[in-house]
Amino acid sequence: MHSYFEYTHYPYQPVPLVEAADPQRHAITIVGGGPIGLTLALGLARQGVKSVVIEPRDCVSLGSRATCISRRSMEIFAATGCASRILVEGLNWTSGTSYYREKPIYRLQMPMDANQRFYPMVNMQQCMLEQCILDEVLTRSNLIELRWQSKVMSVAHDAEGARLQIESPQGSYAIESDYVVACDGARGVVRQALGLKFAGTQYEGTYIIVDIHLKSEYPTERRAWFDPPSNPGATILMHKQPRDIWRVDYQLRDDEDAAEAVKPEQVLPRVKAHLDWIGETGTWEPVWISSYKANCLTLEKYNHGRVLFAGDAAHLVPIFGVRGLNSGIDDSFNLAWKLAYVVKGIAAPLLLDTYSDERVFAARQNIAAGAKSTEMMAPPSHGFDLMRQAALSLAAEQPMGESSFASLVNPRQTSAITYLESRLNSASSDAIAPRVALGAVLPEYPWKSVDAGGSSGMHLSEQLGKGFTILVFAEAAPDLRNLPAPATVLALGARASVPALYEFFSAEEGVTIVLRPDAHVLAKFAHADLARVCAAIQSALR
Amino acid sequence: MLTDTELAEAYTATCHAVSAAGERSELYLARLSLLLMKELGDPKRIQAAISQAQLSD
Repeated sequence: MHSYFEYTHYPYQPVPLVEAADPQRHAITIVGGGPIGLTLALGLARQGVKSVVIEPRDCVSLGSRATCISRRSMEIFAATGCASRILVEGLNWTSGTSYYREKPIYRLQMPMDANQRFYPMVNMQQCMLEQCILDEVLTRSNLIELRWQSKVMSVAHDAEGARLQIESPQGSYAIESDYVVACDGARGVVRQALGLKFAGTQYEGTYIIVDIHLKSEYPTERRAWFDPPSNPGATILMHKQPRDIWRVDYQLRDDEDAAEAVKPEQVLPRVKAHLDWIGETGTWEPVWISSYKANCLTLEKYNHGRVLFAGDAAHLVPIFGVRGLNSGIDDSFNLAWKLAYVVKGIAAPLLLDTYSDERVFAARQNIAAGAKSTEMMAPPSHGFDLMRQAALSLAAEQPMGESSFASLVNPRQTSAITYLESRLNSASSDAIAPRVALGAVLPEYPWKSVDAGGSSGMHLSEQLGKGFTILVFAEAAPDLRNLPAPATVLALGARASVPALYEFFSAEEGVTIVLRPDAHVLAKFAHADLARVCAAIQSALR
Repeated sequence: MLTDTELAEAYTATCHAVSAAGERSELYLARLSLLLMKELGDPKRIQAAISQAQLSD
C-alpha cells in the first residue's frame, strides 16, 4: 500500500524509580498521548502548569482517522501554539455538495466571511495533525513530560488523588498524582478501571473507511452521494486530504459481514466503480482501510473525584458532522485553564464541576446533531430508509436549492457550542452588545494592534490573554488593577476611531466584556466597573 | 412554513412511527396523509400534493 507519512518512533526515557515507584508525586497525570491528551498538556503548559503524559505507543497514532479540523479547534490550536504547523499542509474548505443518484440536491455552505481568521474546516490526516501537536509538545519539555511505551494497568483513587500502576520497558511501577485526566479514547482503561459505563445509542449500520492515493485537481469540499449509480443503494462520502490522499467512506448493506467487507478485494472494486463514474481517471492505490459504526454515547459526568475524562474516553459521537476529534479538543481547552487554576490555588476545586457540566451539555448537543446526520447517512430502520427515499426523490425533482426537503441532508457540521446555562455566566442584560452571547465564544473580528512590544495580530482572537481578558469599548484602558486572577485588559478604541467594530458588536462606548481564558464570554457590562468585573471573576473561581 | 429544524423534527418523528408500524407501515402512511389532508383543508393544495407525490420511476 502507498505510504504518505513517515512515523517517527520515540525512545523510552527511563524514569528514576525508588522501590518500583516514581518517587515524585505529580500534580497532573494525563493518560493518553493522542490529540486530546497532548492538547490538554499544551493548554496546561500555556498556564505554566506541568503535566506527565502516559502513552502506550512510541509514535503518533496509525492512520488518517479524524480528518476534519473545525474552526473552533483551529482557534484552540492557535492558542496552544500548533496552528501554524497545521496550516503548512492543512487544506482549507467551506462548502460541499450532496447528490441523489446523479443529481446535485444540496449545497453545503459553512459560515465564512472576511472577519474570520480560520476557515470553517481544515482537512488533515490525524497522524499528521498529531505530529504537529507533538512537535509543539516537544518544545515544552520543561513543562510536559511524555512517557512513551507506558501503559496504565490499574487505577486507585481517593479524595486526595490517584495511584496508577504503569507497565513500561523498565517493568511495572506506580505513579501518584493529585489529578488524573483520562484521554485514553473509546476503549480507555481508566473508565473501565473506575467501572464507569457509557449510556446512549449504538447504531448497527457499518461504514467502510478507505484512504486512497490519487492525484486529482478536484477542490477540497465535502461530497456525499445517496444511491449513486456506481454503488446502487449505498451512501458514499469523499473528502480530500493533504499529500494527494482522498478519504472515501461508504455504507454496507445490512446483510453484509463487516469483517469480510473490509478486505481489499471487497473494497477496491466498489471504490473503482465510484471513481470511474465520477470521472476520476488517474491511477490510484489504497492507503488504509478500516470500518466504523456510529455511537451516541456519553458518561453522565466527566469528573469523578480526582479523575477526569475528556474526548472519546468521555463520550462517543458519530463521525458524520465531524464532532469526534473536535469536541475532544474543546474538552481539553475547557479543562486546561480550570485544572491549572485549581492546581495553582487560584480557583476552588468546585470549578471542575463546571468542566463536567459544560462539556456534558456540549456532548448532548453534539449527540443530538450527530444522531440526525447518522440517521440520514445510514438509516437505522425501515422507517428512516423509506422516508429518506421519499425526501431525496422529492428534492431531486426540483432544481438544487429549491426543495425544502434537501435541507434534511444538511450534514450539520460541528460549530462552537454556547454554554447557555453555565454557572460561570454572570447575569447581565441581553441589550449590552447583543452580538456577544453569554457563554459563547467571542465572535472573530479583524484587529490590527501595534502594542509596546511591537506585536501585530490581525484578528481580535490573537489579542486575547492566557488568563481572563477584559475587552473595553473605550479609547484608553480603565484602571482595572488588583483583579482576582491573571487578566489582560484591552481597550478597543473610541467609537470615532473604530466605528465598524462598534457596529459589528452592537456596542456602546464603555461596554466591557469579560472573557474566560478559553475565550468564552463570562460577563458583559455597560460600563467598566472594577467592582463588578472582580465580582464576575471571583464568582467564577469560587 | 416550517423551518428546517421543524421539518427535521417532524421527519424524524415520522421515521420512528413508520418503523414502529412495521409491516403495516403503508397503512400508517395512508392514515397520516388523510389526517394531514384534513389539517391542510385546501382542496387545491391537496390535489397539487397528490400529483407531485406521483412516482416517476
